[in-house]
Amino acid sequence: MAFESETKKLQDALISCKVPDIGKAVNEAHEAGMPADEIINVLGAAMSDVGVLFERGKLFLPHVLSAAAGMKNAMSTLDEELKAGAGSSQAKGTVVMGTVEGDVHDIGKSICSTMLQCAGFEVHDLGRDVPLKNFSDEVKGGCNYCGMSALMTTTMTGMKVVIENFKAEGIRDKVIVMVGGAPVTQAYADKIGADLYGESASETTKKASAIASD
Amino acid sequence: MTEYYTRMGDGKRVTMTKEQIMNDLQAGTADAADMAGIPSLNANELEHIAEIIMCQDRVVGVSPGNEVILSYDIGQLDFTGDNGNSGNGVDMGRLEAALLHERALGADTFELAHSDYSIKPVKPVISMEMQTMEEIQAEVVAPFFYGAMPNQGLYYAPDGPYGNPADLMREFKIEESMQQSELASAHVTRDIEYVATRLQAAGSDGFNFDTTGSAGDADCVGTLNGVKLLREQCPEAYIQVGFAGESIMGIHGSIEFEGQVVAGMYPHQYVHIAEQAGANVVGTVVNTNTSKSLAFNIARAVTFIKESVKTSNIPVHADMGMGVGGIPMCETPPIDAVSRASKAMVEIAGVDGI
Repeated sequence: MAFESETKKLQDALISCKVPDIGKAVNEAHEAGMPADEIINVLGAAMSDVGVLFERGKLFLPHVLSAAAGMKNAMSTLDEELKAGAGSSQAKGTVVMGTVEGDVHDIGKSICSTMLQCAGFEVHDLGRDVPLKNFSDEVKGGCNYCGMSALMTTTMTGMKVVIENFKAEGIRDKVIVMVGGAPVTQAYADKIGADLYGESASETTKKASAIASD
Repeated sequence: MTEYYTRMGDGKRVTMTKEQIMNDLQAGTADAADMAGIPSLNANELEHIAEIIMCQDRVVGVSPGNEVILSYDIGQLDFTGDNGNSGNGVDMGRLEAALLHERALGADTFELAHSDYSIKPVKPVISMEMQTMEEIQAEVVAPFFYGAMPNQGLYYAPDGPYGNPADLMREFKIEESMQQSELASAHVTRDIEYVATRLQAAGSDGFNFDTTGSAGDADCVGTLNGVKLLREQCPEAYIQVGFAGESIMGIHGSIEFEGQVVAGMYPHQYVHIAEQAGANVVGTVVNTNTSKSLAFNIARAVTFIKESVKTSNIPVHADMGMGVGGIPMCETPPIDAVSRASKAMVEIAGVDGI
């Protein structure tokens, strides 16, 4: 396998979640002649491993962010070569994220926003207790993914209203609707006509990335 | 093949065969064991839970002599709150709620609570809370505490003076995010000292810290430092520390209590830091997965809690309510599921209280 040692160093550096180490490994791989898109692909795969370790409680949010920051720096360092190639520095999609109106729970949604950002999506996080019409405004403004979270059985019904609004405004086909949060299930997602249900931030990110690469 | 009436984690009614129930019990205990690095339940224990689940009586219970202490959180709100906060929408005063719990519902302890149920909003009304505490203490016999959530989320923007770590991290301001968490954590400690010592001075028998760590590891450390101060200043206070989940979320990632990183601690580990801080009782929590069956959730919860009971030096009261302890997450948790999860928690996990 070509660049075996560089690949291993890139993987180890990203999983260590140390920004300087990631930068050093990227520079060494680049100097050894490893193509930019290959470097990014290796880092992307290692980022998935970081996501798994996060989900299992072995790494925490700042670690994930540090790994993502290292990856972001790598994209910036290799920008010219990437642009000359397949243009893989472009965002996978633009996501509006928010906890629906009436619900002030923030953390789960924020973790999901962060994971999506780390996976290469541009994220517009509207925060919590988001007025339902604001999701429509963001989709009209160009977001092609809409992620809604709820932590209460009494507020999750807001997700259905947003989807109905999308239909009434003729923008339902322009957006992938993602739903999650403790009381939400696949059955509820199917019932209200969402495109994607994520049981966790990692699962949501994985499913959204799969749709983006289709 | 016989099918047994049971539930999903969102409360939905389903029927399952014994084979399906056993498969889910094994998956639930394996998941907890794998996550926390603890022993899974053995075949006899899984069979015991299966029997509890398959019992066709609507309500199940423990045999006489095996009852456990019932300590309560959320105060009067379980009656006065509406469905949105798992109450019944029955309006009553806080004195009436205390007497009702003590004299009609068999509560072994009860508590006074602010309607927001967070530490921070109690500060501006502390004098009124102290007066109410004194008045109710004159009538109730059972130990009567004050209860509130540390709720460090209220100290971050847009509700408080500190930057929101989640927002800062998305801007890759990781150091600043950690610093803001530490500042908010210290503020929580100060507020706990302010509120709790005054309520103790007004005659409270103790303090119940509900959902410790709900805003992550810094929230947990802020609370435990507050508990430590309360213990130092009020050595006779009866302090109950209930946690927010089965694992302490690492929003800061490296903040420590007494030299130990708390992020990622599971119930069998966090019981010890609660004890170190000065708690008399620790409330261990396991979150319910709404997409999985009651069998999966009970086995998973019992596995985590059993290990915490085994290792804890202080009594463990499992948190058994909507969306925790194997109980489904829906507005009014069904009694068939509540009683099954509770029986399993007493008979297999060996909890001291609920």
